Amino acid sequence: MNDRIEQVRAAARAEAASLTNADALERFRLSFLARKGSVADLFDQLRHVTAADKPAVGKALNELRTEVQGIYDGAKEKVDSSAQRTSIDLTLPGRPLFAGSRHLVSQTLEEFQRVFVSMGFDIVEGPEVESDYYNFEALNFPPDHPARDMQDTFFVSPSVLLRTHTTPVQVRIMEKRKPPVRAIMPGRVYRNEAVSARSLVQFHQVDGVYVDKGVTFAELKGTLVAFAKRYYGSSIKYRFRASYFPFTEPSAEMDITCYLCAGKGCRVCKHSGWLEIVGSGMVHPNILKRVGYDPEEVSGYAFGFGVERTVLLRHGIDDIRLLYENDVRFLEQF
Amino acid sequence: MKIVSSWLKDFVDVEWTPQQFSDDLTMVGLEVESYEDLAATYDKFVVGKVVSCEKHPKADRLTVCRVDVGSEELQIVCGAPNVAPGQTVPVGLVGATVPHGQHDPDGKPFVLGKVKLRGVDSSGMICSAKELGLGTDGDGIMVLTTDARPGTPLAIALQRNDVVYEIGITPNRPDCLSHLGVAREVAIQTGGEVRRPAITLKESGEPAAKLASIEIRDADLCPRYCGRVLSDVRVIPSPEWLQRRLELAGVRPINAVVDATNYVMFELGHPLHAFDLDRLDGHAIVVRRAGPDAEFTTLDGRSRQLRPDMLMICDRSRPVAIGGVMGGENSEVSETTTRLLIEGAYFLPSNIRRTARTLGLSTEASYRFERGADPEMAKLAVERTAQLIQELTAATVHPGLIDVYPKGMEASRIRFRPRRANEILGTNIEPSAMRSYLGRLGAHVTANGEEELVVVPPSFRVDISEEIDLIEEVARVHGYNNIETQTRSAIDFSIPTAPARVADEARSHLIGAGWREIMAISLQPETVASLGGPAPIKVLNPVSAEMQALRTSMIPGTLDIVRLNLHRGNKDLRLFEIGKVYRRSSENLASVEDVVEEDRLMMAWAGVAAPVAFDRPSREVDLMDLRGEVDALLRRVCLDKYRFLPYRADNTLTESALSLEINGTYGGWFGEVRRDIAKRFEIEVPIFVGEIALPVLEQAWTRDRTFRPLPRFPHVVRDLAFVVERTMPQGDLEDLIRLTAGPLLESLVLFDAYQGAQTGGGRRSLAYSLAFRSPDHTLTDAEVDAHIRAIVDRARSVCGAELRS
Ligand SMILES: [Zn+2]
Repeated sequence: MNDRIEQVRAAARAEAASLTNADALERFRLSFLARKGSVADLFDQLRHVTAADKPAVGKALNELRTEVQGIYDGAKEKVDSSAQRTSIDLTLPGRPLFAGSRHLVSQTLEEFQRVFVSMGFDIVEGPEVESDYYNFEALNFPPDHPARDMQDTFFVSPSVLLRTHTTPVQVRIMEKRKPPVRAIMPGRVYRNEAVSARSLVQFHQVDGVYVDKGVTFAELKGTLVAFAKRYYGSSIKYRFRASYFPFTEPSAEMDITCYLCAGKGCRVCKHSGWLEIVGSGMVHPNILKRVGYDPEEVSGYAFGFGVERTVLLRHGIDDIRLLYENDVRFLEQF
Repeated sequence: MKIVSSWLKDFVDVEWTPQQFSDDLTMVGLEVESYEDLAATYDKFVVGKVVSCEKHPKADRLTVCRVDVGSEELQIVCGAPNVAPGQTVPVGLVGATVPHGQHDPDGKPFVLGKVKLRGVDSSGMICSAKELGLGTDGDGIMVLTTDARPGTPLAIALQRNDVVYEIGITPNRPDCLSHLGVAREVAIQTGGEVRRPAITLKESGEPAAKLASIEIRDADLCPRYCGRVLSDVRVIPSPEWLQRRLELAGVRPINAVVDATNYVMFELGHPLHAFDLDRLDGHAIVVRRAGPDAEFTTLDGRSRQLRPDMLMICDRSRPVAIGGVMGGENSEVSETTTRLLIEGAYFLPSNIRRTARTLGLSTEASYRFERGADPEMAKLAVERTAQLIQELTAATVHPGLIDVYPKGMEASRIRFRPRRANEILGTNIEPSAMRSYLGRLGAHVTANGEEELVVVPPSFRVDISEEIDLIEEVARVHGYNNIETQTRSAIDFSIPTAPARVADEARSHLIGAGWREIMAISLQPETVASLGGPAPIKVLNPVSAEMQALRTSMIPGTLDIVRLNLHRGNKDLRLFEIGKVYRRSSENLASVEDVVEEDRLMMAWAGVAAPVAFDRPSREVDLMDLRGEVDALLRRVCLDKYRFLPYRADNTLTESALSLEINGTYGGWFGEVRRDIAKRFEIEVPIFVGEIALPVLEQAWTRDRTFRPLPRFPHVVRDLAFVVERTMPQGDLEDLIRLTAGPLLESLVLFDAYQGAQTGGGRRSLAYSLAFRSPDHTLTDAEVDAHIRAIVDRARSVCGAELRS
């Protein structure tokens, strides 16, 4: 009996390699595992075995059946899965989903916020329809001052206007808080300028302010350099040059080397090799006084980025109007 | 402001290259926006002297010339008939670019090479005026009258070696609106000296004071008025050098008198005016407010409406000029003018600006006066103008400057603490260095104790009036880039951190769900803005009617964006915007409080309900698709604290709309855009839109969530299909099922809604899948059956719903 078991085992093992299709599998099943197969046949003969040998032979038979069944199952799994595979056209496209995208200006605003929040700045907002007082007077633009020409203004009434910069929010937040005040102020601003590839009545700014004891111009430089290195890369070169804003003094513009021409000069940087990225300065003492701070006690710096300008330069877009047309073919590129 | 390099060198010695000049001035706040190097046109062109001429051996018309160009003698073959030994001529050397190619039909420039002409070597070219772009004569070579030596660069010999800089002068620096002013800034950088023009007047004839009088009646608006009287003036053209400088500065030359006043303005920065003395009634100048004078014709021939507080320059009987803005036609210098009164005055800046703005008339003069002229310069400028007119026209300058300066102007004395400057700047600049910086600006500096200086700024620096102004000057002269950068640790626990915002949550959800964010312009046509609600806020001075009113809803602007996309063939649109809408809270807009700005979320969907796939038929989007998206968004943001209600208000934009109630508050609506509205935007396809008020959503935003234990007992699912009247809203039946089933009903899903032959006319089938679960035991069939029976009974009695078998 043991010999016969070993014979069947050997026969099954010998056939294992040839079980590569459904026909061979079926023949194997019929010859070994079916009700009339050789394994069942051996079980039939178990009754002729002596009672003493029965447990050992029975155990051997069970082991045989498990092994043969295992050979069959393993082979069948392989055959089945390969059959299934060949029935799928693997070159079919996936069933598409709608794709979403974030507006480029909104992406850029987020990036500004992310960097400045990591430097400990709060984010605050203020009204777009603003008073002449906050937009101009509180920021050292008296009525009939030529500095007002720097920002062509939309008025909705003699004393109410569409803000020309996000700087009024500086005043609003300083009126509400005591130093230290450290915040950025992103938002939409308006300028009454003819529509062109470079100007489109509205754009976004990110203003920032930090007022505390002992805040210096050197720190203003340090902060803006840290920002520029994170945003534009650590290899940029920069310069600070004198400028004028009524609400800061000293005032400065920060330029970085033009990343399109690496400073050699090109159309985008107007052949100077430099790109202006942010206007800044030390908060004017008159403004500190106006919000009830003592300029002898605290000092501060402020800065303002133009978001669209940054977007156009960074992504090589030559017309600001593309940003607000919202052509889907434009949106899906970013 | 245009600065001409040779003109600048009248006042300061500077050896910078144009690029260095641009960089250095830009760094101190005088931004050089561009420059044009006129000499570059004549690079590699020099003055040559023709030494000898011989006939070309093989060509009758050509001459072989030997030309001395300073460093060597060149052989040049020349085709011009007029070439002759001894001539001084312009020579283009090998490598020079001839500006105007004579043989090219378009006159394109070409580069000179070393060539053989009919077998004879020729190194360079003797040029005609036409080839150099200096005239129309192309028949013969240009013969120069200069006594410049051979080898002299042609640009220098022809005085075409200027570099013209365009400098953007910020409003605080009117002192730089002149060549003298820029020269002063250059001298601060180089440490050089500034040369002021020397005045040498030859006075003769009757004293000026007997020929004319000046009276200031409104000294608050005009603190100083200087006048010079000239006679025997000839109104002739200016000499070429002066005309050329004015042209380079961007002004058209007119005649020697007008040109002289313009010239001195660009030179010294002080605006001047020349009156025809004989056209002044009583030969008098009276400076006063316009008062009752209502109308005045300026010298551009236009009639101007005056206001009583405008400052006028008048004679005995009438206004003759708008002070500091523009002269009048009635006293203008003409060809017959022989006697002049030259005005140099100082006017109150704010009044000049008000006048110029009211009249919509901005001139070179008003531009300077409104920013602030130098009252001390008025005198020098008049003297300089008189001198120039005398030089140009041989006029008689009458003895005596009439100078009416009743009160003088008090120079400001500013306390300056070097320690304070270092505190603000974050520097360690020595006080002695600061003192020297301020000295270089022309300020008068004296010590006031150990710690303090007293600084009197020069009269032309109208922008310096307090200590912080001096701190900026110290930084500027020291160099911004010589200040080390510093940072301090950002950690400050007293500064609040930016709060999370529901807008960001909604945005990231929608982008992930396949929506595209857009940004529209807040300003739109009034007709479009009015579609969204009540009278929009209008801009009083719009750039165009297209951008006149602030949006009251985001939908109309979005429809315009949809229109653009559809026109361009972009058919499937799923757009959202997070932005503001604006409305007035009171009729007049006296203050910011009369305006309400509200943050909104807008969604718009047109085209297919799902992107086309190979085995998925395309279907147009409908309202329930949008409802599903809104549902998913709200569930994420505020769990179950919202519900949809049929929108019954008279909405002007949509039909079949739903409104949204969030936490018991109205929070927005969505629906299909009315066909007639869509047509206004040339949209022919169905489009579904919605708006959610973000403040309401923010309120309901559930961020602080408490854990509910996961269920421990299995649920039981039963399906029920009812047939109901078609007019019965599904929601009624759904509400009834929920109410009847009670708290054990875990979920209810409508998985089929069908209407057709099998349901009979006017009836429809609604099939629900109900899942029951108890938190504390395994439900038995009997328990669930009891609920199902109750539901079926009530559905029949209340809704007339029959159970489908
Ligand atoms: Zn560049």
